[in-house]
Amino acid sequence: MTVVGKKSFIIMTILIPFLLILLLFVPIMMKYINDKTDSSEMRIAVVDKSHNYGGAFKDNEKYRFELMSGDSMDKTYDIYKKASGRVDAIMVIPEDVLERQQVDLFSEKTLDEATMMYLNQCLTDTLSKAKIASFQDPDLADKIAQSQVNAVIKSKKWNENGEEQEQSTTIASIIGMVLAFLTYTFVLSYGAMIMNSVVEEKTNRIVEVIVSSCKPMELMMGKIIGVGLVGLTQFAIWVVLIGIAMGVMGFMGVGGDVSSSPEAMGMNMPETESTMASMMSAFASINWLSLLGNFVIYFIGGYLLYASLFAGFGSAVDQASDSSQFTMPIILIMMVALYAGIGCMSNPNGPMAVWCSIIPFTSPVVMMVRLPFDVPWWQLLLSIVLLFATALLCIWISARIYRTGILLYGKKRSFKEIVTWIR
Amino acid sequence: MNFIDVNSVVKQYDGHLALDHVDLHVPQGAIYGLLGPNGAGKTSLIRIINRITRADSGTVLLNGREMVQDDIANIGYLPEERGLYKKIKVADEIVYLARLKGMPKPLAVSEMEKWLERFDLTEWRNRKVEELSKGMQQKVQFITTVIHRPQLLIFDEPFSGFDPVNAEQLKREIIQLRDEGSTILFSTHNMASVEEICEQITLINHSRVVLEGKVADIKQQHKKNLFVVNVAGEENVVSKEGLFEVVPNDEVNGTLIKLANGATLHDAIAHLNEHHTLIGIAEKMPSMNEIFIETVQGNA
Repeated sequence: MTVVGKKSFIIMTILIPFLLILLLFVPIMMKYINDKTDSSEMRIAVVDKSHNYGGAFKDNEKYRFELMSGDSMDKTYDIYKKASGRVDAIMVIPEDVLERQQVDLFSEKTLDEATMMYLNQCLTDTLSKAKIASFQDPDLADKIAQSQVNAVIKSKKWNENGEEQEQSTTIASIIGMVLAFLTYTFVLSYGAMIMNSVVEEKTNRIVEVIVSSCKPMELMMGKIIGVGLVGLTQFAIWVVLIGIAMGVMGFMGVGGDVSSSPEAMGMNMPETESTMASMMSAFASINWLSLLGNFVIYFIGGYLLYASLFAGFGSAVDQASDSSQFTMPIILIMMVALYAGIGCMSNPNGPMAVWCSIIPFTSPVVMMVRLPFDVPWWQLLLSIVLLFATALLCIWISARIYRTGILLYGKKRSFKEIVTWIR
Repeated sequence: MNFIDVNSVVKQYDGHLALDHVDLHVPQGAIYGLLGPNGAGKTSLIRIINRITRADSGTVLLNGREMVQDDIANIGYLPEERGLYKKIKVADEIVYLARLKGMPKPLAVSEMEKWLERFDLTEWRNRKVEELSKGMQQKVQFITTVIHRPQLLIFDEPFSGFDPVNAEQLKREIIQLRDEGSTILFSTHNMASVEEICEQITLINHSRVVLEGKVADIKQQHKKNLFVVNVAGEENVVSKEGLFEVVPNDEVNGTLIKLANGATLHDAIAHLNEHHTLIGIAEKMPSMNEIFIETVQGNA
């Protein structure tokens, strides 16, 4: 195979795990950089018609509030004009703010989400305190604080020995989705690689030399198996590299940063420490060996199925640019599989998930989503047998198309014509 | 002993008959011409001989026995549409294709060195194929065809794309390969090269064999009693009723005459000597080109 020797290929193989890890850090980094560099202050004039709640808004390093008495005011726009350059926005607190629970904010520019959230939080806090105070019950604040409940459902499952292990549906879904996506991208990109290689050999006419040295079937299978092994090797390298990188990160304590990232990104997620711990134990509860084993089996099956189709149809075209006619249907089926996989995430044991994970054309992707949720063994077996049977059938059909296709040049072929080659 | 015996091969592509009971007998150690106009079925026949496609009926014998898949390691094929992997190095390309034919790597490398030397390509061995000129690529392709010393070499239009100097070198190499024991099947419609190196030919037209035999015999069969006459002095040779007539012709140096039916060359010479001072007379043999055109058109 000429592909593997290319420098770009080797570099990508090694670089992709790092890119993936980098991808995890980029949002955190960007947030950090944004916070550090965005030093511009937001000045907001507060016109307090209620004469009471103007103090709700506290200055900090980003926001500065300037209180104005509200009575004498005519139009807010005139104030803005008068204070031009000094303030960015004007907030008007109405007299009945406690009842209406609403203030008006005027500005020339559209204000960003973070500002709105900060203002909202300030107002909500102050108003709810005022409401609580209005009940004139000194213990009420305490009672309310105590009645705040944050319920947690800890899901545990038994392993073979009846020991309890924590599991996380979210983690399982994510892992399933990642595997499904991996299968999808692997099969599509390696399939396309095969197709390109077939078309290339055909366009530069070397195929005639090659098939005078070996059988077309051997050439096609050699190509498919060769690229497949490249794919598996690449995958193995990634697993090892990501494993090492994760290990190194955990060792250096960078992992803590990762777990705190949801908080950093503005989500309210308490007890990051314990989330991290339960994530870890959920990770540990997954049977990685069978998961990866099944992934490899499905990858091989799905790959053989689609790669042979790519090879077969690739042989029917003269130029790479003509190939879309035949790749479109294949890519469409793969897309259906991917969306079915996403759809099955919410109910991985529902009828759609079960059917799609048994039908050979969608099973390599959909089954990935179901795998972390303990698929019944008979479904797994049926699906694998069907997948490989279909793959063999596709190889057989493609070999027949290939045998004829590679030596025919000239006009564009239709599906109908190709069907006649199979006979 | 024939090296290849193609017996009554038929090949049909969706409704179109490409080969209609074609026979071909190539003797061991011959340079054999497979001729025919475009689309006559030459490439179809070649593809059947080197087992790229299969005949619908008929047999192909190699050395007197039915061909098997392993025999293709003993065939070198230079297709008309040349093709090489463009993005890999010359040396890698040659070794790869040689190993596909079953050569062990060290042997492939040492043989390659010899051939590169012979074609002045040694300094190009680490360049990518796409960096080479078209002529050099052709040479590389030729090397990949012959490097495993096959017993049977099939060249489809070997001289196309070569300049006269390189074509001459190629011709010498082909003859040397024959002398070293290879049998060569040579498909072309370049009749000049056929006259120069082929001993025997088969002419295919419209999927059928229309002419077959030794080049010299075929010429004998197609000669038209034409002679080139040279006489001294300015006087023109004129036709003589019942003996010969002058054929207007610009190509020959002298006068072209055609003997009348029943007339003998002896009578013609006597007549010419009587009226002129005869300096020379030689039979004009038809060129393969003329035979080709005549046969193909007469057959159409």
